[in-house]
Amino acid sequence: MNALEAAERALRAAGAGDRAFATATRERSLLLRFAASRPTQATAVDDLAVELAVLRDGHVGRASTNDVRDEAFSAAASRARVAADAAARAVGPGPYPGFPAPMPGPAHAGHDADTARLDPARGRAELEAAFGAAARAGVEAHGIWTAAEVETAVASEGGVAFDLVTDAFMKVICIAPSGRSGYASATAARAGALDGGSLAGRAAAKATAQGEPARLKPGDHPVVMEAQALGLLLELLGATAFNGLAHAEGRGALAGRLGTAVTAPSINLSDSPRFPRTLPRAFDAEGVPKAPLPLIEDGVAHGVVHDVSSAALAGASSTGHALAAGGSASGPLPANLVLAGGGAADEAALCAPIERGVYVTRLWYANVVRPAQSLVTAVSRDGTFLIENGRVTRPLADLRLTDSVLGILGRTQALSATPLLTSDGEFYGRRFASGVACPALRTGCVRFTGAAY
Amino acid sequence: MRELLPELMYAAARHADYADARHVRVRSERISIRNAALDGLDHAELDGIGVRVRVGGSWGFAGVRGDGREQAHEALRRALDVVRRQPTAPAAPLASEQPAGGRWESPVGRDPFEVPLEDKLTVLAAAAEELRSEPAVALARASFRAWRTDKLFASTDGALCEQRLTECGGGITAVASKDGETQVRSFPSSHAGHVAQAGYEHFLGLGLAAAAPRVAEEAAALLRAPACPPGRTSLILAGEQLAMQVHESVGHAVELDRVLGREISYAGTSFIEPGAPGSLRLGSELMNVTADAGTAGGLGSYRWDDEGVEGQRLPIVREGVLSAFLSSRETAAETGLPRSGGCMRAESFDRQPIVRMTNVNLDPGEAGTLEQLVAATDRGVLIDTNRSWSIDSRRLQFQFEGEAAWEIADGERRRLLRNPSYAGMTPEFWARCDAVCSPAEWRLVSLIDCGKGEPGQVARVSHGSAPARFRDVEVGMA
Repeated sequence: MNALEAAERALRAAGAGDRAFATATRERSLLLRFAASRPTQATAVDDLAVELAVLRDGHVGRASTNDVRDEAFSAAASRARVAADAAARAVGPGPYPGFPAPMPGPAHAGHDADTARLDPARGRAELEAAFGAAARAGVEAHGIWTAAEVETAVASEGGVAFDLVTDAFMKVICIAPSGRSGYASATAARAGALDGGSLAGRAAAKATAQGEPARLKPGDHPVVMEAQALGLLLELLGATAFNGLAHAEGRGALAGRLGTAVTAPSINLSDSPRFPRTLPRAFDAEGVPKAPLPLIEDGVAHGVVHDVSSAALAGASSTGHALAAGGSASGPLPANLVLAGGGAADEAALCAPIERGVYVTRLWYANVVRPAQSLVTAVSRDGTFLIENGRVTRPLADLRLTDSVLGILGRTQALSATPLLTSDGEFYGRRFASGVACPALRTGCVRFTGAAY
Repeated sequence: MRELLPELMYAAARHADYADARHVRVRSERISIRNAALDGLDHAELDGIGVRVRVGGSWGFAGVRGDGREQAHEALRRALDVVRRQPTAPAAPLASEQPAGGRWESPVGRDPFEVPLEDKLTVLAAAAEELRSEPAVALARASFRAWRTDKLFASTDGALCEQRLTECGGGITAVASKDGETQVRSFPSSHAGHVAQAGYEHFLGLGLAAAAPRVAEEAAALLRAPACPPGRTSLILAGEQLAMQVHESVGHAVELDRVLGREISYAGTSFIEPGAPGSLRLGSELMNVTADAGTAGGLGSYRWDDEGVEGQRLPIVREGVLSAFLSSRETAAETGLPRSGGCMRAESFDRQPIVRMTNVNLDPGEAGTLEQLVAATDRGVLIDTNRSWSIDSRRLQFQFEGEAAWEIADGERRRLLRNPSYAGMTPEFWARCDAVCSPAEWRLVSLIDCGKGEPGQVARVSHGSAPARFRDVEVGMA
């Protein structure tokens, strides 16, 4: 049974008059994990789960099952119905205006039949390439190779929509005998775009960079961030600034700031599900088609993202960013952030004007401190270097930044030309691969509040 | 199923050095009220079979939905396929273990899934209404969570054991906003409140509506409160913030898979070396940490872990010195331990078990009550609820921020402070611990969203502690 058939059958099981919305998701995935240049844990997943959402008096009750028999769908529909009825009785009428009619959205290039085969041999080849490159550099390789095919179908009395995507991700962290580490990763819709040998080579070069690691005191320092580091900060900005629910409730970082300059003029940020290097989606969790949405234009805050719930609260329309049918408790989020590139050729060009600063490959354990200020904290990892007299000179002990993402973007001096698709490859729950496409960035200063030494 | 899994293991033994299988059925319920409206009401029932095989030194795993013979054998076939088609890894032994057998259920009074939804909604709505009685509260939230997990485990070693775990709880949050400032207060804690391995009686016993007026008042007061001033001072940690400190800087640091470099790819490593037990000083002599899979009500409690190893009570730190790690059969054998610590858990049928915390508890001391500890402190701050957390990949340099702090001056709890952050390095920080309150102050706190593993897994854990004081700590840097 595929996801479309499951969604349609589940909707039928709900029965007429339920004002139901069915979502079926089938994940087939393979993840190969490795440590110290050896395979460790390999995980294959095949699951098909169906969620039925039922609307009663403005309340949405939801029930999920991965039992695809009709009686299980009927039972799930009953649970969702009981939940929505109970809510209506207990707290009175609710605010949800109604499920939109699912729309399929325009076709996209987010599926690759070869990737969908989930061939372990392909993964093995990339692992062996990574191990070989690591061995030649005298380092150990740690990381994952993973690929997946995900079917998503939504169905309601207003129609049906079906989306089929693949995604692939590989990361390599190389550890040198000195204990220094380096990182490289790649994210794409096609497994064929992953090159284990190349990734390991890049990661190894960082791990084996010459020079005694320097120590820099916390404080304000000029910074060049690779795309991987910046992508994580932009992901947090998506949650703190562009969440339409938080914005409508006055808790968002752009509350009262739309139409004003919030970053440097060189910042052009959008949610762009058709951008060539992103992971495209046809529609959101409420069946609303994905479409490009400008968020910051020439440094001016332009908009936030909405699902049906937050749009109702804000007096706006859904922008196609729902995470759940009926709305997620945490609100809507952008899933295809794209930061436009600038004029710098590469990271080396970004470093050139810096007399003394910090080069950051990636950030780790990033967490929001105060959302209304887009204030976050994170630690650099797997490739932190000192920039001296315009070039990277030697390794640097990892540093903790605590700064406003909007502030970092506000102090942006230059961007590299080409956005790269970045991701941390975290696949919690049912797989929903996403990433942020962004270039590398030079910012006038970042506030560091600690050092990991 | 009790016949199917042993049959499956019989088949697996012909192809793998070792194999185990779990049939897992999880029922869950999440109810959330936002202001005066329903925020979410989700019910889920998911089940499937996960089969793990070991060939040489690597693991293959496959999870498939359903509970039939066909699905079980398909999971085995896939697990063998993926492990065989990986690069080879040298064979390595597993620590030996007597085959587990029997059935166990966590204690539960009233089944939370049998309680009518209206009853739960009424409790939550009443609590949210109390929060909203404070005019500055812009967002009032109240939530209920419950899980029931049924697991049947079998292995090629002959294990066959069955467990049922029931967990439930909830909490409230008030968000106050004014003039661009936003502050939040939660009860009993910020991470979905307090969830325990217990029945509905635990949720009712939280007293959410009764606590709501104080919580709302504090959220509003934080809008007017001064920021926690930067500097070095005495820090008293209590409740959730101390639990988070234990979790991040001790619990994760002593996971043996991290220590051995198996988690470098994602969660990171540890500043602790494999040979450190018995010699590494992690803190002052007042620091005693115990990992206890039998703590009543703890979310890290079970009879057997997901390798069929019996849950244990392990001294992790004694008088400030590291004494043991959290381990699995594989990591125990690699470090020469005679037996696994029984710390392997998987989130669901489609994830393979990894080293996880049981209830990693800070043992109580002799400093009396929290108020006595405050009275014995000339200057400092007290933080009890977590808002932000981050620690480096070696579990060494951390920075936390609480929802609120109270200034301590001349032995008295005085004004409220907003945005109280603090930072430190794990061993130096714990070396500054000079007081831990007495057993009467010891409480369990739950954290229901601990992420680890690839593909990602979320674990629910608990930590018990009594308030503790740390001298000369850097605060107010964020």
